[in-house]
Amino acid sequence: MTIGKKLQILLGRQQSGLVIVILLLVVILTVLAGSHPDRTTGKTINNFLNFYTLMQTATDASFFAIMAVGATMVIIAGGIDLSVGSIYALCGVLTALMLRHLNIDSPSAVILGIFASVGLGTICGMLNGLMVVGLEVHPFIITLGTMWIFRGVAFVISKAESILVPGSLTAFAKANLGLSPALYPVAMLIMIAVTAAGAFYLAKTVMGRHIYAVGGNPEASKYAGLHVKRITISVFAISGLTAGIAAFLGSAYYGSACCGDATGYELYIIASAVVGGASLSGGRGNAVSATLGAVLIILIRQSIRTLHFDQNYEWIIIGTATIIAVVLDKFNARLTLKRAMN
Amino acid sequence: MKKLLILMISLFIGLIFAGCAKKVAPKAEPNAPAQKKTITITMIAKSSTNPVFLSARTGAEDKAKELSEKLGIDIRIDWRTPPVEDGQVQAQRIAQAVNEGTDVILLSSSDASKVTGAISDAVDRGVPVFAFDSDAPDSKRFAFYGVDDIETGQMVMKNLAELVNGKASVAIMAGNQNAPNLQKRVQGAKMEAEKYPDIKIIGTFYHAETPQDAAAEVLRVMNAYPEINAFAMIGGWPLFTTTLLTDLDPSKITVVAVDALPAQLAYIEKGIVPILLAQSTYLWGSVSVELIIDKIHLHKEIPVMNKMELVKVTKETLSQWAKQLKDWGFTDVPERYLKE
Repeated sequence: MTIGKKLQILLGRQQSGLVIVILLLVVILTVLAGSHPDRTTGKTINNFLNFYTLMQTATDASFFAIMAVGATMVIIAGGIDLSVGSIYALCGVLTALMLRHLNIDSPSAVILGIFASVGLGTICGMLNGLMVVGLEVHPFIITLGTMWIFRGVAFVISKAESILVPGSLTAFAKANLGLSPALYPVAMLIMIAVTAAGAFYLAKTVMGRHIYAVGGNPEASKYAGLHVKRITISVFAISGLTAGIAAFLGSAYYGSACCGDATGYELYIIASAVVGGASLSGGRGNAVSATLGAVLIILIRQSIRTLHFDQNYEWIIIGTATIIAVVLDKFNARLTLKRAMN
Repeated sequence: MKKLLILMISLFIGLIFAGCAKKVAPKAEPNAPAQKKTITITMIAKSSTNPVFLSARTGAEDKAKELSEKLGIDIRIDWRTPPVEDGQVQAQRIAQAVNEGTDVILLSSSDASKVTGAISDAVDRGVPVFAFDSDAPDSKRFAFYGVDDIETGQMVMKNLAELVNGKASVAIMAGNQNAPNLQKRVQGAKMEAEKYPDIKIIGTFYHAETPQDAAAEVLRVMNAYPEINAFAMIGGWPLFTTTLLTDLDPSKITVVAVDALPAQLAYIEKGIVPILLAQSTYLWGSVSVELIIDKIHLHKEIPVMNKMELVKVTKETLSQWAKQLKDWGFTDVPERYLKE
């Protein structure tokens, strides 16, 4: 296969549009960001294109991206999950309270914390799924309700206190793995792992293909013998699970958990999935694109600060960019279809 | 076609950015005779939608300008306050500022435990951190400037108790439950209330720190607890609206509140709130910048704890206070208070 052909295949991929926009943004930021002298070496450092900023951007994106992978599966299945931010807060608070109660601060606290947070997230997600299926109410309403319930539970049990997590958790989340001090790649690596697992699950497993089928046409899926209810419950459980992973990582990285954590993040997460090409009517989307969507949104936020724009315009810029990205994706889909028909 | 479309849309995003861009001070010409030393102070307050922090920003910028001229250096204020309170976002912004080569960070923390790690990282990388308004006492910040929060809570309750002759059913309006400074003020108010046997605390009520949410909470509390005849407001949020001008009856309800911003002055004028305990929010920025420059540029020793005194604003001192606010750059001070 020639290089040109390979390039053509690469550009034909669903994610190529997002990758190009991200790369363009990176180039724009690098050129316009300016520079500053390094405090220790005195060397001139680009304000954007340096290891610290890039790692920080990836870390900031990781909390959204991990949750966006799970939320994308719900969206592919034709649902929506508004409770992910609240699940994040509840998992963080309960895990921190449990570890404080047990008074342990060792590697076992890390393992226990991961299991507790991920387990709780999965249970919360399953509850969402069970209610959607059992009560036959639209997921928007159920997860809107549980969004308040989960945050309310977090508020009551934490008494609005910000609960410190053991130092061993922070040491885990902020391990520099042999890199320079203040470079913390763990969150980014977990984001990559979760994205890879999500992509594999959706594209290479039977269960994953069933999710697309259910989202594309639930009636036809039912007649084809698929367990639509079971699949619906499973996608909500996965969404809860990813919120649990993000909650563990977030509270460990920042050193504490409180009931107000991740307030409003659900909208960023849904935006990440949609910017990544997921269709809110179901049947379309993938994990890699959701992660790229999260990276793009964080990059836009980062650019407002790096380029010293007036921050009062932040919400307008993010909103506009979200609409543009979706319109771009829609055009892209139309063009691909047109080309296929020709 | 697809790539062209992507390029066009990227350019469009770029144009939007350009349209929203703030005018940045022009960079020095390469052949300029000598470049002034630049000190960039990144200011991260709790929320950019709260007027008290906007006045702190004005204070910081005015002092930066004044000291720049006086000392022959270029002091810049890099404003990176999140639009809504979020300790996690503050931690991210601290890291971003350090990555982009800031010299000092000036911070009012929404959640001290969330920013402590980021402060440590900043200090370890050579960027000192100064706290104002809401401290992060367990962090590596080198100093703090603000009111003593326990004392503030005590003063609110003491003034209220004096106004009601030591007998009232009191609701404490407490703002964001996660903010450590507000928790301390509530603690102080409760400690002081214990000194008055006939002061009964009906409850402590938390609310989002937006004027509308806060005013709505006051109304909800009044409806739910008709026995309440006094409010101890440890922040001024409910009085940033005009709603309560008609809903609070001064013959039945007595209020003492912290802060005295222009929007609150009508409550003093109409006698609905007899006492406001003003934090000189402008000084948060102004004094903090001065202390920072003393420490990092002039290498003077400064105390770790720098206490701000509260100013008691009453009907008698209203005009004087209004003029002070005007001098600090508040543009919304009603003219009628300035003429007296």
